[in-house]
Amino acid sequence: MIEPYNKLVKLAARAFYDDLTSKGDNQPKTGRSDNRGIAVVVLDALTRRQWVREEDLAKDLKLHTKQLRRTLRFFEEEKIITRDHRRETAKGAKIYSAAVAATADATTGKEGEEKVKLHTHSYCCLDYAQIYDVVRYRLHRMKHKLKDELENKNTIQQYICPNCGKRYTAFDAPRLLSRNGEDFDCESCDGKLDVESDKLAAQEGGDGDGDENARRRRREKLKDMLQKMEVQLKPLIDQLGRVKDLPVPEFGSLQAWEARASAAGRAANGDNAGDSKSHLGYNGAPMPYSGDTKVVVDFNGTEGKGEGVKSETDSTSLKVLPPWMITSGMNLTKEQRGEVKQETKMDGTSTSTAAQYTDEKKSTIGHDDKNIQDEYIKAYYAALLKKQHELEEAAKNPQDANAADDPSSSTSIRKVGDKYKREEDDDGTEWEEAPARGNGIGAYKVDLNVEADAPAEDDEDDIDWEEG
Amino acid sequence: MFFHIVLERNMQLHPRYFGRNLRDNLVSKLMKDVEGTCSGRHGFVVAVTGIENIGKGLIRDGTGFVTFPVKYQCVVFRPFKGEILEAVVTMVNKMGFFAEAGPVQIFVSNHLIPDDMEFQSGDMPNYTTSDGSVKIQKDSEVRLKIIGTRVDATEIFCIGTIKDDFLGVINDPTTV
Repeated sequence: MIEPYNKLVKLAARAFYDDLTSKGDNQPKTGRSDNRGIAVVVLDALTRRQWVREEDLAKDLKLHTKQLRRTLRFFEEEKIITRDHRRETAKGAKIYSAAVAATADATTGKEGEEKVKLHTHSYCCLDYAQIYDVVRYRLHRMKHKLKDELENKNTIQQYICPNCGKRYTAFDAPRLLSRNGEDFDCESCDGKLDVESDKLAAQEGGDGDGDENARRRRREKLKDMLQKMEVQLKPLIDQLGRVKDLPVPEFGSLQAWEARASAAGRAANGDNAGDSKSHLGYNGAPMPYSGDTKVVVDFNGTEGKGEGVKSETDSTSLKVLPPWMITSGMNLTKEQRGEVKQETKMDGTSTSTAAQYTDEKKSTIGHDDKNIQDEYIKAYYAALLKKQHELEEAAKNPQDANAADDPSSSTSIRKVGDKYKREEDDDGTEWEEAPARGNGIGAYKVDLNVEADAPAEDDEDDIDWEEG
Repeated sequence: MFFHIVLERNMQLHPRYFGRNLRDNLVSKLMKDVEGTCSGRHGFVVAVTGIENIGKGLIRDGTGFVTFPVKYQCVVFRPFKGEILEAVVTMVNKMGFFAEAGPVQIFVSNHLIPDDMEFQSGDMPNYTTSDGSVKIQKDSEVRLKIIGTRVDATEIFCIGTIKDDFLGVINDPTTV
């Protein structure tokens, strides 16, 4: 739905803003400072985004913020984009980041926005509805102006006295009016005035020749221009026609968009990973990898460690990206990173988890990856054993089961039979959905950084179990 | 376009008006003097709507007249290029037609009348379309666009066109 509009924007950008320079015209253009085409680049970039923070856009386009801002201000005046400025704290920045993350269907952030202090941030977004009108109006005015000039529509009529050659304009009309009110009379010789028309003067030749030729040339030039305009702008006009009956993509104001984006992200539950239009990466960068590429890697059975543990891999519909496809700039869900629930890990995704750890957890955990892996497994088995043991005990001693509800109690008491199982499940779900679960401001506070750390904490938990 | 502005004028008042009604006399004389006049700068003064302030009078040597500086509010009408006006046709000839919008006289030359309207001479000269459905003659009301103004110190004259969308006859006296 948004595609035709994007095409319209791109066409309009190339048609009207191609040779736009942000420098003053009086400055000499050296090769370096010649920044024509920047406008097109910026508009194209904006078609791939929704609301975007201007600093991020500048970073993505490798432009200076000042330069970008100048261009954006121009577009704001041209009514092509809407902008929003607000002073915001780290929290405000996080709202935006959360919204971006939600748009990208990604539930993890690789870095926090903690450093942001109280700064004024500007956001911008294409205003498709207005662009449609602006482009149409512009075309209309262009055509109108050329046609008017061609037809001499707004020219002041001139009159000439055939006797003495004196010229008058229509402004003199009240003075020239003859007594009977039928004709215009010459002031000096009382002769009847003739209307000076192009045709007449052209036939006359004589003294007014150069002038007339110039006028005729001008007419031809205008006609030429009108024709050229029609030919060259045809794609744009066609696109306008195509877009006419389509619903306009509307992002709303920045706040509304943020709220909606995070809500949509929550609702989507990450299962529309193939939906390319909503795929904006972190910082609003497009993510070519995760959009259309569907890589199905079957981790099950790659390592035979998972016997005896129930498999829940199929509970998530997300495609698991292989570790070599995960770059640090990508914004992926944990599922996509292959970082699935604990049960799944046990199922044999240890390669991917290992990769995950090498990617991100090296600094947080001082141990060797393999060690962690082993420890984790050991811990899990220990916990499982303990659990089964306790299950039997709990059957004998119901009071203990009640105590198991207390999260602050030690792990040995806590994990009781089915309770344990449920908590384990809960853990998994919580882990996976936490960032998308934003409702209201409270949920926005979920820091991406914290989320990224969450697995590490879990790991430590596991190690604790082993010790305990 | 109409404007509500404050203007200033030095009023000379004869000594016979001095007395209780001095102020009233001053105001009525002001109205008589300025309403209906035209200045190139402000346009036509349509009406005085109020007095801002009357300054101290100054007795002229020798005559006994007193000069009061008077600040007054008034409505002025000034036509602009590109403005759309409704006007009443006052005269039609083969060169075009003249129309009046209040105090302003406007001339529409025949090449600014749509091409499908032709001049018909006779007792009641007019411009008529070929099917006779639209007719411009004396006392017709037309909507026109000003494409040029000539502003003198005491006079404003306009050139108009009806060769554009939504311009032309808006009320035909013969059909009413």
